[in-house]
Amino acid sequence: MRPILLQGHERALTQVKFSKEGDLLFSVSKDHTVCAWYSANGERFGTYKGHQGALWTVDVDPTTTLLASGGADNTIRLWEVRTGRLLKTWEFSTSIKRVEFSEDGRQLLGVTEKRMNQLSTVIVYDIKQDIEAEQDDEPALRILVDELPKVTVAGFSYLNKYIITGHEDGSVTQYDAKTGEELHNSPSHEDGMQVTDLQWSADRTYFITSSKDKTAKLHASDSLDVLKTYTTDTPLNSAAITPDPVQYVILGGGQAAMDVTTTSARQGKFEARFYHKVFEEEIGRVRGHFGPLNYVAVDPTGKCYASGGEDGYEVEREKEQGIRF
Amino acid sequence: IDQAKKSSANKAVVEGRRAMLDEWLAWRERMQADLAMEREDMGLPDLSEEQQALVVDEEEEQEGREVE
Repeated sequence: MRPILLQGHERALTQVKFSKEGDLLFSVSKDHTVCAWYSANGERFGTYKGHQGALWTVDVDPTTTLLASGGADNTIRLWEVRTGRLLKTWEFSTSIKRVEFSEDGRQLLGVTEKRMNQLSTVIVYDIKQDIEAEQDDEPALRILVDELPKVTVAGFSYLNKYIITGHEDGSVTQYDAKTGEELHNSPSHEDGMQVTDLQWSADRTYFITSSKDKTAKLHASDSLDVLKTYTTDTPLNSAAITPDPVQYVILGGGQAAMDVTTTSARQGKFEARFYHKVFEEEIGRVRGHFGPLNYVAVDPTGKCYASGGEDGYEVEREKEQGIRF
Repeated sequence: IDQAKKSSANKAVVEGRRAMLDEWLAWRERMQADLAMEREDMGLPDLSEEQQALVVDEEEEQEGREVE
Protein backbone atom coordinates (compact mmCIF):
# COMPACT_ATOMS: atom_id res chain seq x y z
CA MET A 1 0.00 0.00 0.00
CA ARG A 2 1.23 3.46 -0.79
CA PRO A 3 1.69 5.83 2.15
CA ILE A 4 -1.09 8.30 2.74
CA LEU A 5 -0.10 11.94 2.60
CA LEU A 6 -2.40 14.10 4.67
CA GLN A 7 -2.42 17.69 3.53
CA GLY A 8 -4.56 19.95 5.60
CA HIS A 9 -2.21 21.88 7.79
CA GLU A 10 -0.65 25.09 6.55
CA ARG A 11 2.33 25.01 8.85
CA ALA A 12 4.64 22.62 10.69
CA LEU A 13 3.10 19.67 12.49
CA THR A 14 4.05 19.48 16.16
CA GLN A 15 2.35 16.31 17.42
CA VAL A 16 0.24 13.47 16.02
CA LYS A 17 -1.67 10.89 18.09
CA PHE A 18 -3.76 7.85 17.23
CA SER A 19 -6.97 7.08 19.08
CA LYS A 20 -6.56 4.06 21.36
CA GLU A 21 -8.56 1.94 18.91
CA GLY A 22 -6.35 3.13 16.08
CA ASP A 23 -9.21 4.31 13.86
CA LEU A 24 -8.62 8.05 14.16
CA LEU A 25 -5.52 10.16 13.97
CA PHE A 26 -5.25 13.61 15.58
CA SER A 27 -2.75 16.25 14.59
CA VAL A 28 -1.77 19.69 15.84
CA SER A 29 0.19 22.32 14.03
CA LYS A 30 1.67 25.78 14.28
CA ASP A 31 -1.34 26.85 12.16
CA HIS A 32 -3.54 26.94 15.34
CA THR A 33 -5.86 24.06 14.36
CA VAL A 34 -6.40 20.53 15.61
CA CYS A 35 -7.36 18.05 12.87
CA ALA A 36 -8.81 14.56 13.10
CA TRP A 37 -8.43 12.03 10.28
CA TYR A 38 -9.63 8.51 9.53
CA SER A 39 -6.45 6.48 9.72
CA ALA A 40 -7.76 3.91 7.20
CA ASN A 41 -8.02 6.29 4.25
CA GLY A 42 -6.66 9.66 5.35
CA GLU A 43 -9.95 11.48 4.92
CA ARG A 44 -10.54 14.32 7.29
CA PHE A 45 -12.93 13.56 10.16
CA GLY A 46 -13.03 17.09 11.54
CA THR A 47 -11.28 20.25 12.65
CA TYR A 48 -11.25 21.77 16.14
CA LYS A 49 -11.02 25.54 15.94
CA GLY A 50 -10.62 28.10 18.69
CA HIS A 51 -6.99 28.25 19.71
CA GLN A 52 -5.31 31.61 19.15
CA GLY A 53 -1.73 30.48 18.67
CA ALA A 54 0.62 27.71 17.58
CA LEU A 55 -0.29 24.32 19.03
CA TRP A 56 2.31 22.07 20.61
CA THR A 57 0.37 19.12 21.91
CA VAL A 58 -2.72 16.92 21.64
CA ASP A 59 -4.06 13.76 23.29
CA VAL A 60 -7.23 11.70 23.27
CA ASP A 61 -8.83 9.66 26.08
CA PRO A 62 -9.13 5.83 25.92
CA THR A 63 -12.77 5.92 24.76
CA THR A 64 -12.13 8.55 22.04
CA THR A 65 -14.72 10.82 23.69
CA LEU A 66 -12.54 13.66 24.90
CA LEU A 67 -9.69 15.43 23.17
CA ALA A 68 -7.21 17.75 24.89
CA SER A 69 -4.98 20.28 23.15
CA GLY A 70 -2.55 22.95 24.28
CA GLY A 71 -0.24 25.58 22.87
CA ALA A 72 1.15 29.07 22.64
CA ASP A 73 -2.11 30.81 23.54
CA ASN A 74 -1.52 29.62 27.14
CA THR A 75 -4.61 27.43 27.21
CA ILE A 76 -5.48 23.77 27.52
CA ARG A 77 -8.75 23.04 25.74
CA LEU A 78 -10.98 20.03 26.11
CA TRP A 79 -13.13 19.03 23.14
CA GLU A 80 -15.82 16.53 22.38
CA VAL A 81 -14.23 14.33 19.70
CA ARG A 82 -17.45 13.49 17.87
CA THR A 83 -18.94 16.97 17.48
CA GLY A 84 -15.96 19.28 17.83
CA ARG A 85 -17.66 21.12 20.69
CA LEU A 86 -15.36 23.00 23.05
CA LEU A 87 -16.09 21.70 26.55
CA LYS A 88 -13.56 23.51 28.71
CA THR A 89 -10.75 26.05 28.53
CA TRP A 90 -8.10 26.27 31.24
CA GLU A 91 -5.94 29.40 31.13
CA PHE A 92 -2.33 29.76 32.26
CA SER A 93 0.37 32.42 32.25
CA THR A 94 2.74 30.59 29.87
CA SER A 95 2.36 28.22 26.94
CA ILE A 96 1.42 24.56 27.23
CA LYS A 97 4.10 22.19 25.97
CA ARG A 98 2.44 18.87 26.66
CA VAL A 99 -0.93 17.37 27.55
CA GLU A 100 -1.57 13.69 28.27
CA PHE A 101 -4.41 11.57 29.61
CA SER A 102 -3.75 8.80 32.11
CA GLU A 103 -4.34 5.24 30.88
CA ASP A 104 -7.80 5.20 32.51
CA GLY A 105 -8.73 8.61 31.10
CA ARG A 106 -9.63 9.90 34.55
CA GLN A 107 -6.79 12.36 34.75
CA LEU A 108 -5.22 14.86 32.40
CA LEU A 109 -1.83 16.44 32.87
CA GLY A 110 -0.38 19.56 31.34
CA VAL A 111 3.14 20.99 31.25
CA THR A 112 3.45 24.77 31.41
CA GLU A 113 6.53 26.43 30.00
CA LYS A 114 9.15 28.06 32.16
CA ARG A 115 9.52 31.80 31.54
CA MET A 116 11.01 34.71 33.43
CA ASN A 117 9.42 34.73 36.89
CA GLN A 118 7.42 31.62 36.01
CA LEU A 119 8.49 28.14 37.04
CA SER A 120 7.80 25.03 34.98
CA THR A 121 4.77 23.31 36.37
CA VAL A 122 3.01 20.03 35.81
CA ILE A 123 -0.68 20.35 36.53
CA VAL A 124 -3.13 17.49 36.87
CA TYR A 125 -6.92 17.69 36.48
CA ASP A 126 -9.42 15.08 37.49
CA ILE A 127 -11.52 14.47 34.40
CA LYS A 128 -15.21 13.65 34.39
CA GLN A 129 -15.77 11.34 31.46
CA ASP A 130 -19.20 12.76 30.71
CA ILE A 131 -19.49 15.33 27.96
CA GLU A 132 -22.30 17.11 29.81
CA ALA A 133 -20.39 17.37 33.11
CA GLU A 134 -18.87 20.60 34.31
CA GLN A 135 -15.08 20.04 34.54
CA ASP A 136 -13.19 21.36 37.58
CA ASP A 137 -11.59 24.80 37.30
CA GLU A 138 -8.85 23.95 39.77
CA PRO A 139 -6.21 21.27 39.30
CA ALA A 140 -6.16 18.25 41.63
CA LEU A 141 -2.38 18.51 41.77
CA ARG A 142 0.25 21.06 40.84
CA ILE A 143 3.93 20.17 40.77
CA LEU A 144 6.24 23.20 40.85
CA VAL A 145 9.56 22.35 39.27
CA ASP A 146 11.97 24.77 40.88
CA GLU A 147 15.16 22.86 41.60
CA LEU A 148 15.33 20.90 38.38
CA PRO A 149 15.75 22.34 34.87
CA LYS A 150 12.75 23.15 32.70
CA VAL A 151 10.30 20.32 31.98
CA THR A 152 9.85 19.57 28.27
CA VAL A 153 7.67 16.42 28.28
CA ALA A 154 5.65 14.44 30.82
CA GLY A 155 3.26 11.52 31.16
CA PHE A 156 1.50 9.12 33.54
CA SER A 157 2.90 5.64 34.17
CA TYR A 158 0.87 2.43 34.61
CA LEU A 159 -1.88 2.68 37.26
CA ASN A 160 -1.35 6.49 37.39
CA LYS A 161 1.35 5.66 39.91
CA TYR A 162 4.09 7.97 38.71
CA ILE A 163 4.36 11.10 36.66
CA ILE A 164 7.52 10.95 34.60
CA THR A 165 9.02 14.16 33.26
CA GLY A 166 11.80 14.83 30.76
CA HIS A 167 13.93 17.94 31.14
CA GLU A 168 15.91 20.49 29.22
CA ASP A 169 19.20 19.15 30.62
CA GLY A 170 18.57 15.59 29.38
CA SER A 171 17.46 14.17 32.71
CA VAL A 172 14.31 12.22 33.54
CA THR A 173 12.37 12.53 36.82
CA GLN A 174 9.86 10.31 38.55
CA TYR A 175 7.19 11.91 40.77
CA ASP A 176 4.56 10.32 42.95
CA ALA A 177 1.43 11.02 40.89
CA LYS A 178 -0.78 11.26 43.99
CA THR A 179 1.31 13.59 46.13
CA GLY A 180 3.58 15.26 43.58
CA GLU A 181 6.64 14.30 45.61
CA GLU A 182 9.88 13.99 43.62
CA LEU A 183 11.08 10.40 43.95
CA HIS A 184 14.02 10.10 41.61
CA ASN A 185 15.94 12.20 39.07
CA SER A 186 18.16 10.37 36.63
CA PRO A 187 20.65 11.92 34.16
CA SER A 188 19.64 9.66 31.27
CA HIS A 189 20.75 11.67 28.27
CA GLU A 190 23.88 13.69 27.67
CA ASP A 191 24.09 16.70 29.96
CA GLY A 192 22.48 19.77 28.45
CA MET A 193 20.80 17.84 25.63
CA GLN A 194 17.06 18.31 25.88
CA VAL A 195 14.63 15.41 26.20
CA THR A 196 12.29 15.99 23.25
CA ASP A 197 9.71 13.22 23.56
CA LEU A 198 8.42 10.56 25.94
CA GLN A 199 6.11 7.77 24.75
CA TRP A 200 4.81 4.70 26.55
CA SER A 201 4.70 0.98 25.91
CA ALA A 202 1.16 -0.45 25.71
CA ASP A 203 1.05 -1.28 29.44
CA ARG A 204 3.04 1.82 30.46
CA THR A 205 5.58 -0.20 32.44
CA TYR A 206 8.34 1.20 30.24
CA PHE A 207 8.79 4.20 28.01
CA ILE A 208 11.06 5.68 25.38
CA THR A 209 12.66 9.12 25.44
CA SER A 210 14.29 10.91 22.52
CA SER A 211 16.88 13.63 22.86
CA LYS A 212 18.92 16.24 21.04
CA ASP A 213 21.93 14.07 22.00
CA LYS A 214 21.02 11.88 18.97
CA THR A 215 19.91 8.93 21.05
CA ALA A 216 16.64 7.43 22.18
CA LYS A 217 16.47 5.39 25.38
CA LEU A 218 14.11 2.83 26.78
CA HIS A 219 13.47 3.24 30.53
CA ALA A 220 11.69 1.16 33.16
CA SER A 221 8.84 3.20 34.67
CA ASP A 222 9.42 1.97 38.23
CA SER A 223 13.23 2.11 38.53
CA LEU A 224 13.98 4.66 35.76
CA ASP A 225 16.77 2.28 34.70
CA VAL A 226 17.89 2.69 31.10
CA LEU A 227 17.12 -0.66 29.47
CA LYS A 228 18.15 0.07 25.89
CA THR A 229 19.90 2.83 23.93
CA TYR A 230 19.43 3.58 20.23
CA THR A 231 22.22 5.66 18.75
CA THR A 232 21.67 7.72 15.60
CA ASP A 233 23.53 10.45 13.70
CA THR A 234 20.98 13.22 14.05
CA PRO A 235 19.23 15.15 16.86
CA LEU A 236 15.96 13.38 17.64
CA ASN A 237 12.56 15.00 18.16
CA SER A 238 10.44 11.94 18.73
CA ALA A 239 10.44 8.22 19.47
CA ALA A 240 7.66 5.63 19.50
CA ILE A 241 7.38 1.96 20.53
CA THR A 242 5.51 -0.47 18.27
CA PRO A 243 2.97 -2.72 20.02
CA ASP A 244 3.81 -6.42 20.57
CA PRO A 245 4.59 -8.72 18.87
CA VAL A 246 6.49 -6.31 16.63
CA GLN A 247 9.73 -5.43 18.43
CA TYR A 248 10.62 -2.09 16.83
CA VAL A 249 11.06 1.46 17.91
CA ILE A 250 10.59 4.30 15.42
CA LEU A 251 12.68 7.44 15.73
CA GLY A 252 12.23 10.80 14.03
CA GLY A 253 14.35 13.92 13.88
CA GLY A 254 16.79 15.68 11.62
CA GLN A 255 18.50 19.02 11.56
CA ALA A 256 16.88 21.94 9.78
CA ALA A 257 18.97 23.19 6.85
CA MET A 258 19.68 26.48 8.62
CA ASP A 259 21.13 24.61 11.59
CA VAL A 260 23.39 22.39 9.56
CA THR A 261 26.88 23.84 9.75
CA THR A 262 28.94 21.00 8.30
CA THR A 263 29.04 20.45 4.55
CA SER A 264 29.18 16.71 5.09
CA ALA A 265 25.60 16.68 6.34
CA ARG A 266 23.44 15.16 3.64
CA GLN A 267 20.54 17.25 2.46
CA GLY A 268 17.10 15.74 2.74
CA LYS A 269 18.11 13.41 5.53
CA PHE A 270 14.64 13.46 6.94
CA GLU A 271 13.80 9.86 7.50
CA ALA A 272 11.89 7.83 10.03
CA ARG A 273 14.37 5.33 11.47
CA PHE A 274 13.45 1.85 12.57
CA TYR A 275 15.50 0.10 15.25
CA HIS A 276 15.11 -3.34 16.76
CA LYS A 277 13.82 -2.71 20.27
CA VAL A 278 15.78 -5.52 21.91
CA PHE A 279 18.94 -5.69 19.79
CA GLU A 280 19.32 -1.90 19.50
CA GLU A 281 20.28 -2.20 15.83
CA GLU A 282 19.02 -0.08 12.98
CA ILE A 283 16.73 -2.02 10.65
CA GLY A 284 15.81 0.54 8.06
CA ARG A 285 14.79 4.08 7.18
CA VAL A 286 11.79 5.53 5.46
CA ARG A 287 12.06 8.76 3.53
CA GLY A 288 9.27 11.13 2.74
CA HIS A 289 9.73 14.46 4.47
CA PHE A 290 11.38 17.65 3.28
CA GLY A 291 12.15 18.87 6.77
CA PRO A 292 12.84 17.42 10.22
CA LEU A 293 10.31 14.99 11.64
CA ASN A 294 8.74 16.61 14.67
CA TYR A 295 6.73 13.63 15.78
CA VAL A 296 6.24 9.92 15.12
CA ALA A 297 3.28 7.92 16.41
CA VAL A 298 2.34 4.26 16.11
CA ASP A 299 -1.17 2.95 15.57
CA PRO A 300 -1.95 0.91 18.75
CA THR A 301 -3.18 -1.96 16.55
CA GLY A 302 0.25 -2.04 14.92
CA LYS A 303 -1.13 -1.57 11.41
CA CYS A 304 0.68 1.65 10.59
CA TYR A 305 2.58 4.62 11.89
CA ALA A 306 2.33 8.33 11.25
CA SER A 307 4.91 11.08 11.11
CA GLY A 308 4.43 14.83 11.31
CA GLY A 309 7.03 17.10 9.79
CA GLU A 310 8.39 20.59 9.98
CA ASP A 311 7.41 20.71 6.28
CA GLY A 312 3.72 20.75 7.23
CA TYR A 313 2.98 17.28 5.88
CA GLU A 314 1.55 14.37 7.70
CA VAL A 315 2.06 10.85 6.43
CA GLU A 316 0.45 7.57 7.31
CA ARG A 317 2.23 4.38 6.37
CA GLU A 318 1.34 0.76 6.63
CA LYS A 319 3.84 -0.79 9.09
CA GLU A 320 7.16 -0.16 7.41
CA GLN A 321 5.19 1.91 4.94
CA GLY A 322 2.96 4.46 6.75
CA ILE A 323 1.30 8.16 7.31
CA ARG A 324 3.14 11.41 6.78
CA PHE A 325 2.00 14.88 7.74
CA ILE B 1 40.18 -21.76 8.44
CA ASP B 2 38.39 -18.59 7.24
CA GLN B 3 35.18 -20.53 7.05
CA ALA B 4 35.62 -21.78 10.59
CA LYS B 5 36.33 -18.23 11.82
CA LYS B 6 33.29 -16.88 10.04
CA SER B 7 31.00 -19.52 11.41
CA SER B 8 32.24 -19.03 14.96
CA ALA B 9 31.78 -15.25 14.58
CA ASN B 10 28.24 -15.83 13.35
CA LYS B 11 27.62 -18.16 16.22
CA ALA B 12 28.80 -15.51 18.68
CA VAL B 13 26.37 -12.98 17.18
CA VAL B 14 23.49 -15.42 17.35
CA GLU B 15 24.31 -16.35 20.93
CA GLY B 16 24.66 -12.70 21.91
CA ARG B 17 21.26 -11.94 20.47
CA ARG B 18 19.68 -14.94 22.11
CA ALA B 19 21.03 -13.79 25.47
CA MET B 20 19.67 -10.25 24.91
CA LEU B 21 16.29 -11.58 23.91
CA ASP B 22 16.13 -13.99 26.86
CA GLU B 23 17.04 -11.20 29.26
CA TRP B 24 14.42 -8.91 27.74
CA LEU B 25 11.68 -11.56 27.80
CA ALA B 26 12.49 -12.47 31.41
CA TRP B 27 12.24 -8.80 32.42
CA ARG B 28 8.93 -8.42 30.56
CA GLU B 29 7.53 -11.50 32.24
CA ARG B 30 8.48 -10.16 35.67
CA MET B 31 6.97 -6.73 34.95
CA GLN B 32 3.78 -8.23 33.59
CA ALA B 33 3.39 -10.50 36.59
CA ASP B 34 4.01 -7.61 39.02
CA LEU B 35 1.53 -5.39 37.20
CA ALA B 36 -1.11 -8.14 37.08
CA MET B 37 -0.72 -8.64 40.82
CA GLU B 38 -0.99 -4.91 41.55
CA ARG B 39 -4.09 -4.62 39.41
CA GLU B 40 -5.67 -7.60 41.14
CA ASP B 41 -4.90 -6.16 44.58
CA MET B 42 -6.60 -2.94 43.55
CA GLY B 43 -9.62 -4.84 42.26
CA LEU B 44 -9.00 -3.75 38.69
CA PRO B 45 -9.50 -5.83 35.52
CA ASP B 46 -6.41 -7.34 33.88
CA LEU B 47 -6.17 -4.72 31.18
CA SER B 48 -6.11 -0.95 31.47
CA GLU B 49 -8.83 1.11 29.80
CA GLU B 50 -6.58 1.99 26.89
CA GLN B 51 -5.59 -1.65 26.34
CA GLN B 52 -9.27 -2.60 26.61
CA ALA B 53 -10.04 -0.25 23.68
CA LEU B 54 -8.17 -2.66 21.40
CA VAL B 55 -9.67 -5.88 22.74
CA VAL B 56 -13.26 -4.71 22.29
CA ASP B 57 -12.42 -3.79 18.73
CA GLU B 58 -11.14 -7.29 17.93
CA GLU B 59 -14.19 -8.95 19.45
CA GLU B 60 -16.51 -6.77 17.41
CA GLU B 61 -14.65 -7.68 14.25
CA GLN B 62 -14.90 -11.38 15.04
CA GLU B 63 -18.61 -11.13 15.73
CA GLY B 64 -18.94 -9.44 12.36
CA ARG B 65 -17.25 -12.37 10.70
CA GLU B 66 -19.56 -14.88 12.28
CA VAL B 67 -22.58 -13.08 10.89
CA GLU B 68 -21.12 -13.29 7.40
